[in-house]
Amino acid sequence: MTDHSGVIQDVRQGMIPAHIYNDKEIFKLEKERVFGRSWLFVAHESEVPEAGDYVVRRVLEDSFIISRDEHGEIRALFNMCLHRGMQVCRTEMGNASHFRCPYHGWSYRNDGRIVGLPFHKEAYGGEEGFKKKGQTLLPAPSLGIYNGLIFVSLDPDAEPLEDFLGDFKFYMDYYTKQSSGGIELRGPQRWRVKANWKIGAENFAGDMYHTPQTHTSVVEIGLFREPKAEKRKDGTTYWAGNGGGTTYKLPEGSLEDRLRYVGYPDEMIARMKEQWSQEQLDVVGKDGFMVSAASVFPNMSFVHNWPRVEEDSNEVLPFISIRQWQPISEDETEIVSWFAVDKNAPEEFKALSYKAYLMCFGSGGMFEQDDVENWVSLTSTAGGPMARRLLLNSRMGMLENGQNVVEPLTPEQYSGPGSTRVGYSEYNQRELLLRWANHLERPMEKTAQVHVGSNPVQDCPADTPDSFRAPAEHNGHAPAVTASKEG
Amino acid sequence: MGIEAVTERSNKSLSEQSVLGGHAPRTQRTGDSLPFNDELHLQAHKWLVDESYLLDAQEYDEWLSRLTDDVHYLMPVRVTTALGAGYSTSPGMAHMDENKYSLSRRAARFATEHAWTEDPPSRLRHYVTNVRTFRTGNPEEIIVDSAVLLFRSRGDVREAATVSAGREDLLRRTGSSWQLARRTIMVDEAVIRMQNLAIFL
Repeated sequence: MTDHSGVIQDVRQGMIPAHIYNDKEIFKLEKERVFGRSWLFVAHESEVPEAGDYVVRRVLEDSFIISRDEHGEIRALFNMCLHRGMQVCRTEMGNASHFRCPYHGWSYRNDGRIVGLPFHKEAYGGEEGFKKKGQTLLPAPSLGIYNGLIFVSLDPDAEPLEDFLGDFKFYMDYYTKQSSGGIELRGPQRWRVKANWKIGAENFAGDMYHTPQTHTSVVEIGLFREPKAEKRKDGTTYWAGNGGGTTYKLPEGSLEDRLRYVGYPDEMIARMKEQWSQEQLDVVGKDGFMVSAASVFPNMSFVHNWPRVEEDSNEVLPFISIRQWQPISEDETEIVSWFAVDKNAPEEFKALSYKAYLMCFGSGGMFEQDDVENWVSLTSTAGGPMARRLLLNSRMGMLENGQNVVEPLTPEQYSGPGSTRVGYSEYNQRELLLRWANHLERPMEKTAQVHVGSNPVQDCPADTPDSFRAPAEHNGHAPAVTASKEG
Repeated sequence: MGIEAVTERSNKSLSEQSVLGGHAPRTQRTGDSLPFNDELHLQAHKWLVDESYLLDAQEYDEWLSRLTDDVHYLMPVRVTTALGAGYSTSPGMAHMDENKYSLSRRAARFATEHAWTEDPPSRLRHYVTNVRTFRTGNPEEIIVDSAVLLFRSRGDVREAATVSAGREDLLRRTGSSWQLARRTIMVDEAVIRMQNLAIFL
């Protein structure tokens, strides 16, 4: 494989070799070193509310059954039969006490434990040949849950999820913990776009700069009152822990005024006041900022916005969406996009918030349509040799000598954790790609393998035809014996 | 698309079960499909073919004028479920769950000079086939099933995208012509292979 140290060095300086957005070799390395050990979002607990409920989600090529077992515990089980490797679950959602492999009929409980192994005694000689006891579908090496959001990591030694999220949890609560009930997720919508996965993650992390240009049309049709150029640059970008995002500046007023301004009804505001810490409330009520889009490294994003969705009404309705940029290849991404809403929200609010989501984001969303057009175009342009000559400048907010154009807000000016600045910049895109570069640079540890059912003491069964044996061994046998066995 | 497909999980139609279909007309089909030489079928077929030309040409203002004010335009998200599960759509989630106003915003956006996804415009072709027409309990309303395949090509680098779907439409007579009062689109993929749904089916 090519030496990528030059790419890594450039990225660390905020100069982006354009080909990283469409490069087979880079993608191969990302699959191994970024997706092989990062925390990756797969589902929310509300998608599997009852015992036996399951959804099937992928981590790149690997399929996992995310189930709630009979004791109510969340499991993430590698969807591969321990016998011949068939997928034991070929649907994407449902409720099941067991999963039975269609190939030879091995079956597993919804916690992964094997229960049925046809002809165990006759075919394997029972436990002495195949240790059925204690066998289970391979669990995800690491599993973590925060605010009901289920993450897996293929790294068995991954740091605890909450440590990884770190101070980003402060911001995640705005999207996923507006009351003690937390959120419920609906969907996902899934669609494939011919764009590299990093572009969306970077855009949601910190690109306030694109809004006035890309999304002009949604302002023109009266869907959105916010994204005038001067309006967006009054907001902030923040980076905290392993995630970061953007905010809008709210008009003057109390906490309640400001939450009403983005469309929250009073009963939801009352619950937010009970749920959020004083600092979380102060970011809105005292500092006057409201979270918008955000990303967690490497490929999960959030969006919170408040469009006008009804005719003859100036009222806005806030919606929340959670998404994953699921890489398919260096130039293709499956967008997996959920609608999220506070479980305790009034039903009418839930319906209109869902309408706001459908009109703005997701497979048919009007904001999204123009974003994807740009990202597809960027990706195809990045695939040729000319793109290898271009180092894109991703240093917005920083002078050539490294000095900041705008300094971070001080604790007196801003109540939230992390590093927060007013105005346009690319600090967050750099934070994301810095982590990406760190992963690409670090080789993988060797992973342990699981021997299914037995730990053989003899490495070659006695009646294997000699032609299947290693050459050295083959030479030790008389050719006549080989011939008679093969005959 | 059989009648079962639009009445999943319960005896309610998908339009009735949808989150935003509260305003939608509830009329259902009665009896067998009409003979192909039936006058109602001929009118319904002509309506769909005329519509497909409007959609190919992106003449959305004219298209909107052929929708009733209480129209419900629904495209559920399809999911892969076990045989016998009783449903194949995502509960509570659709790609589109629209009324006349939200459809009009989508059309209005294409009319601005800043809808980048359709500037330059896609080359579109809607193929409509397998048309069946049914009477309903209301002489002024008919149900029409059809299959639609959309071919969409953009630029000269990328391969074209297609989307295949079955549709159930409710057409209502208005004077001498018909208007679309309800459409349920059963897209045939769980994962859409098209960069966005900046189109109508």
